[in-house]
Amino acid sequence: MITLSEYFMTILITCMIVNLGLALYGVFFKPNLIKKIIALTILGDTANTFALIIGYRMWVAGVPSRPPVFTEWRSNNPLLLLVFTKTAVDPLPQALVLTAIVIGLAVTLFLVFLTLQAWKIYRSVDMRDIRKLKG
Amino acid sequence: MAWNIPELITGAVVPLLAVFAFTLPLLAKVFGEKKFPGIWALIASVVAAVMSTYIFTVVWSTGKDIVYGFGGWPPPIGISYEVDPFNAVIAVFTAWIMVLITIYSLWYNRHFDEPEWYYILLIGLEAGMLGCLYTGDAFNLFVMIEVLGISAYALVAYHKNRGEAIEAAIKYGIIGATATTLYFIGLVIIYGVYGTLNMGQLSLLNAEIYYRRPDLIASIGVATLLAVSLALWVFTYKSALFPNHFWLPDAHPEAPTPVSAALSGLVVNIGVYAVARFMYTIFGPASMIAPYYRDAVLTALFIMGFAGAFIGAIMMMAQKDLKRLLAYSTVSHTGLLYMALAIGMSGVPQAAVALGLAAMTYHVLTHGLGKALLFMSSGVFIDSAGTRDLDGLAGVGRKYPLVSASFIIGFLSLMGLLPLGGFFSKLMLYQAFMDAGMLVPALAVIVVSAISVLGYAKAMYSVVFATPTREHREIKLHGIHYMLALMAVGLILLGVLYPWISQGLIHVANSSLIGPGVREYQEAFVRAFHALLGR
Repeated sequence: MITLSEYFMTILITCMIVNLGLALYGVFFKPNLIKKIIALTILGDTANTFALIIGYRMWVAGVPSRPPVFTEWRSNNPLLLLVFTKTAVDPLPQALVLTAIVIGLAVTLFLVFLTLQAWKIYRSVDMRDIRKLKG
Repeated sequence: MAWNIPELITGAVVPLLAVFAFTLPLLAKVFGEKKFPGIWALIASVVAAVMSTYIFTVVWSTGKDIVYGFGGWPPPIGISYEVDPFNAVIAVFTAWIMVLITIYSLWYNRHFDEPEWYYILLIGLEAGMLGCLYTGDAFNLFVMIEVLGISAYALVAYHKNRGEAIEAAIKYGIIGATATTLYFIGLVIIYGVYGTLNMGQLSLLNAEIYYRRPDLIASIGVATLLAVSLALWVFTYKSALFPNHFWLPDAHPEAPTPVSAALSGLVVNIGVYAVARFMYTIFGPASMIAPYYRDAVLTALFIMGFAGAFIGAIMMMAQKDLKRLLAYSTVSHTGLLYMALAIGMSGVPQAAVALGLAAMTYHVLTHGLGKALLFMSSGVFIDSAGTRDLDGLAGVGRKYPLVSASFIIGFLSLMGLLPLGGFFSKLMLYQAFMDAGMLVPALAVIVVSAISVLGYAKAMYSVVFATPTREHREIKLHGIHYMLALMAVGLILLGVLYPWISQGLIHVANSSLIGPGVREYQEAFVRAFHALLGR
């Protein structure tokens, strides 16, 4: 019998894989620049979600994850610390995701600026109209 | 805690460059002088060059790698920089060529309507490159590739009212951002498998799994394999390895000339460096992906390198645009670099691998210097003729004898003529393949060089020797031709000093990328870990 959390996790992972494929398709084959940029942000979000799932330590089977905040530090019990390190969510991927989001914002903004500039020059955001260079 | 000067300087280079970059707009407003941003950038690049030279001398003389943990955190916990002779050499080269490029930008200043933005991006490019080279953390490498990338995209689009420049930047930027995101996914997989992103620790874990726990390979080998595959795309993209070369011939003609010099001479090396770091230090011959998958990757890199070298050489002949011709020459030479990089397959004797990697480093130096020289001197000709077209450029070189002489020396070096650097780097590569018993790759090096001669001869003939068909504008050189002549002398020196340079570079390869060098990389990590924990 499948549990509810397993069910949701399966949905999440399926969605992620589908998203990854769709985003790559969008970046490479959509002629519209805005759609390309949207696909790129979807790709970035997929990567970030993936990092978070890794942070939830999927590979430790059957251990429910807790927030990485250690509240019982007053009691000098090493056992509590052991349980904490076994169950807490890994915070490092979240730090990575934070950095990746900030970088993604900057890159997206720059690409949007380029698209705006392309619109000003060509009055189009379609790569087929813009394509002047060859090779 | 006692201050350790080399470590502090290693940690300070990149943040200092960032400070230089972001104080620039404010200071430019205060001083209001059009020359000021360029002079500020020149100060920044000279400071970075002196610092990187100091780091190199320390690493070279002590024979020990420098590790700097940011914020006083020991390496696997915090971000750390790790310098071994290999990245120290490339960083010194990069920093000094950036000084030359900044001087040239000062001469080129009249093309810039808002110089402060240009110089911020130029300093940002340098910070990104040095960060990529010095970093000892795979995630920091991702950040630095983005710093490098966004500076490069914006510099390509600097002439923002030209449609072609915008188009080239869009092409470069969108695929570049996609490739970096895939590298991020690769990093996440690596973190999931190893629980760390520090390069020294990854290397150490790989060695431990290889020697002590080979039973683990079956369970995590596939994930590692996937991660490496995802990671390599962005590096080969940045270094314009065939078939990822499509952005380079578009970006170069549209970018300002000093930026073309930086992109072609320096940025491509960063990708080569990162691949070498991944395939030799982290996932070296003693790692879980060896031998089959590692050999497959290296073979693929070799085939793509050969295809790039071949196609670049062929495409060069068909070009009418001087900068585009030089761009295809870069594609060709990057191919050669990757062919050299692919030598470390299983079963090749270690001496041959060291020779091949030394040849790669040598070729990085001769190609980077030569290509920067060629772009800068072609900038003079293009300004004078007012066109990039080879027919329009006919005979323009006759007006500037010293620039033409440097231009020809640059071409002869790339071609591989005897007393110049390019000949010896190709010779060393040939020797390495012969020592390794790879006859076909050795012949491929010669074939590619022979084909590329035609393209170079065409460019040299039409720019310098052809009869001028029309009047060319006289432009003031302001002494920039002396700098170009100096670079040409540098190319000659790289050739004449071959015995010493080759010995030095073989030492660099031995002490960084194979056997004892990789062990030193791991031990430096362990030392830093203990020192920062106070043990």
